[in-house]
Amino acid sequence: MTDLPDLAEARVGDVLPELEYGPITRMMLALYAAASGDHNPVHVDSDAAHAAGLQDVFAHGMLSFGVLSRAVTAWAGIERVRRVRCRFSAITQVHDTITVRATIAERLVLQDETCVRLSIIAVAGGARQTLKGDAWVAVE
Amino acid sequence: MALGEVNPIHLDPAAARNAGFPDIVAPPSFFVVLEALANEALRSRGERTVDELIGSDNRYLLHGEEDYFYRGLVYAGDEVVISTTVTDFYNKNNGALEFAVLASAVDHVSRGRLIDAKRVLVHKLPGQLEP
Repeated sequence: MTDLPDLAEARVGDVLPELEYGPITRMMLALYAAASGDHNPVHVDSDAAHAAGLQDVFAHGMLSFGVLSRAVTAWAGIERVRRVRCRFSAITQVHDTITVRATIAERLVLQDETCVRLSIIAVAGGARQTLKGDAWVAVE
Repeated sequence: MALGEVNPIHLDPAAARNAGFPDIVAPPSFFVVLEALANEALRSRGERTVDELIGSDNRYLLHGEEDYFYRGLVYAGDEVVISTTVTDFYNKNNGALEFAVLASAVDHVSRGRLIDAKRVLVHKLPGQLEP
């Protein structure tokens, strides 16, 4: 398979390199809608957003999830990713930049595999936390 | 790619094969695409999608939680079966927030279970303050 990064040295408390995505333009939202198949108008049509009582279009939740999972696969290699979960707490607005920050929170054994659990947050526009989640990754 | 992905195993079949994969590897968030394709197929058969079943309204729909167990990789060219069950419904804040909980499974005919997903979808009905 790919040259997997060596995670044997991974320690609880290690901080992963931050990942940034954005500023999110309307074009990026349109491209994400096409790529994902999610054509919900509130992400690409400001008239629809206004009609829904919103100030402007906002990013698909799964776009943020996708960026968050990119941070995990970039660090571990997709073959090692066992589980990713997150809870959404705030909307990511058009023009926001998403920053993903992950820390190794725990070392544990899952189904006979040594794994680490990453504790991850995504922040939009510098300070607004949008997602909080965990990823479990095998370290072999 | 729409997520800013640069790893060629997700973009280029030759790079994926060089890395030992049979074809382009789907990234972890690819489930949404599988679901969108499945919904298209359901609609073309005149069947209801999960969104229609739960009465989701695009104007108020937000993601609450996502939880994916990755059992095996998904590759370009794969044929998979996706099945979704609505496992719970509830309200909060006197009905200002409506929740639907969905459990999904993605199975490959020979490689078996590839993904188990649990998702919470939220309706945030109008007239509520932004968090």
